[in-house]
Amino acid sequence: MTIIAIDGLTKRYGDVVANDDITFNVEAGEIFGYLGPNGAGKTTTIRQLLGLIKPTEGTAELLGADIRDRKALTAAKANLGYLPDHLGFEDRLTGNQALDYFARMRGDERREELLELFHPPLDRPIETYSAGNRRMLGIIQAFMHDPDLVIMDEPTSGLDPLKQDRLHLFLEEEVADGKTIFFSSHILSEVQRVCDRVGIIRNGAIVEIEDIESLLSRSGKDVWVHFKDDVSPETFLTDEMIDVEEADSAIRFTYTGETNRLIEHLGQFDLVDIDVGDPQLDDIFKHYYGDNLVNPQT
Amino acid sequence: MTAILRHESRNQLKSTSLLGGLLVAISFFFLAVFPGIREEAEALEAAFPDILAGMMGFEELHTIEGFTSGWLFPFIWVLLIGIYFAYTSSSFISGDIRSRQLDLLLSNPVSRESVVLQKFASLWVPLVALNAVLFIVLVAGSFLIGETIDIFGLLMTQLLSVPYLLVCGAIGMILSVAIDRVGTAQAGAIGMIFILWMLEGVSELDPDYELLGLIAPSRYYDPSAILVRGEYVIVDAVTLLFGTAALLTIAIIIFVRRDL
Repeated sequence: MTIIAIDGLTKRYGDVVANDDITFNVEAGEIFGYLGPNGAGKTTTIRQLLGLIKPTEGTAELLGADIRDRKALTAAKANLGYLPDHLGFEDRLTGNQALDYFARMRGDERREELLELFHPPLDRPIETYSAGNRRMLGIIQAFMHDPDLVIMDEPTSGLDPLKQDRLHLFLEEEVADGKTIFFSSHILSEVQRVCDRVGIIRNGAIVEIEDIESLLSRSGKDVWVHFKDDVSPETFLTDEMIDVEEADSAIRFTYTGETNRLIEHLGQFDLVDIDVGDPQLDDIFKHYYGDNLVNPQT
Repeated sequence: MTAILRHESRNQLKSTSLLGGLLVAISFFFLAVFPGIREEAEALEAAFPDILAGMMGFEELHTIEGFTSGWLFPFIWVLLIGIYFAYTSSSFISGDIRSRQLDLLLSNPVSRESVVLQKFASLWVPLVALNAVLFIVLVAGSFLIGETIDIFGLLMTQLLSVPYLLVCGAIGMILSVAIDRVGTAQAGAIGMIFILWMLEGVSELDPDYELLGLIAPSRYYDPSAILVRGEYVIVDAVTLLFGTAALLTIAIIIFVRRDL
């Protein structure tokens, strides 16, 4: 069953095309990743789905409701959870008051259960919350009425790694119970970890809809190594290393190969320090999908 | 269905009680100076040209009814409280757009129409509370200075002011849905009510400008006519109610059509 059907969704602001003819479906019971660099147009798509902004062209169906049919869309929202990237809570309310407020509009039968997993300080005003606490409160309000579909925009931003893991695990359990998750993110590794299928958006347009298997082969890590002695780049560099920068006895590169092979390779050298992190998604996309694959301006 | 109304009503409590306290203080001040003014009332009435006295609504200044409807109601109720209603409703939507509160609110099964109407309806809190405070203060205060105020006339003066204050709130609501920056919407609300109030005053001075005053809500609410002369112009009150409905409809149309 199709939970979200997006058909030619286009949003223009003057000459700027924020979404260009976006088309894809999200099926029931999957975690669909919506992956793209910051500013690619992910939030624009989501805000159109929620009826917050109107498409210039095209349309979409959310839980069977055409987003242009305001009445149907409003009714469908009873079965929707939404975790925005920017959580606009009423800051002087306490966490409990904010949850009570939303509960009166859509129920909160799973609130206690969620509070065992995610526990922001509910008796304190939200204005005193850390980014992580704010995000946890957002997760609780998105799931507390047990909706069929949850749309999450950068859901792990602000969460510490432990809480991120907890969320990922929680999402897997939820999907096993039949929920559908729309997971928008600019972090390749987390999408690879939790999603079943992925829509890749760049400069406002869909580049590819991929199964997770093919996306897994398109990985990348931002690596920085500092050698004890000078090492000639020729002996160190491999084909999997792109965007290489060298300085003295250090090298920074984006690694596009398999992780174990990288570890084996590094083991042959005498290292002083190493740093491995998530790369800029745009660099990885350039590598895999080419530079000028999409030009929404034309 | 009424979660937003409940929530917004609670939000009104703090500022309403602050303003209620201020209203008590100002009213007592007005009443305290009345005995002194009563002595000078004739000279005062003579000092103002007829036309100006008419514009300000000065009639029978030596009676407590004339004094209240000539001084307290035009300045405190029509101008200050009118501004408060427009100011309050001007931040109902505009503040929530920028802070993205509407993104969360509208992810609930609630329509944009309902958001506008429920937020507007929360004005019942200042409407009821401030009217109650003013009534009690005026009745008790008059008694304290040895006067008896016409209770029924006072009730009608306050009752017929309700449509006027609702129009002020609806003007604020339009600014609230049309302007994204909350400070701009609030400043607009203050300016708008003040200018309309001035416009009505000027239009009464000069017959050439009389038509201009027709768009001013204060044209349709005359405390002196009610409290001093006992003229209850129901048509004017109904006009204001229709005005409120029309302005709210416009606000809803703007809000429903716009991108957030």
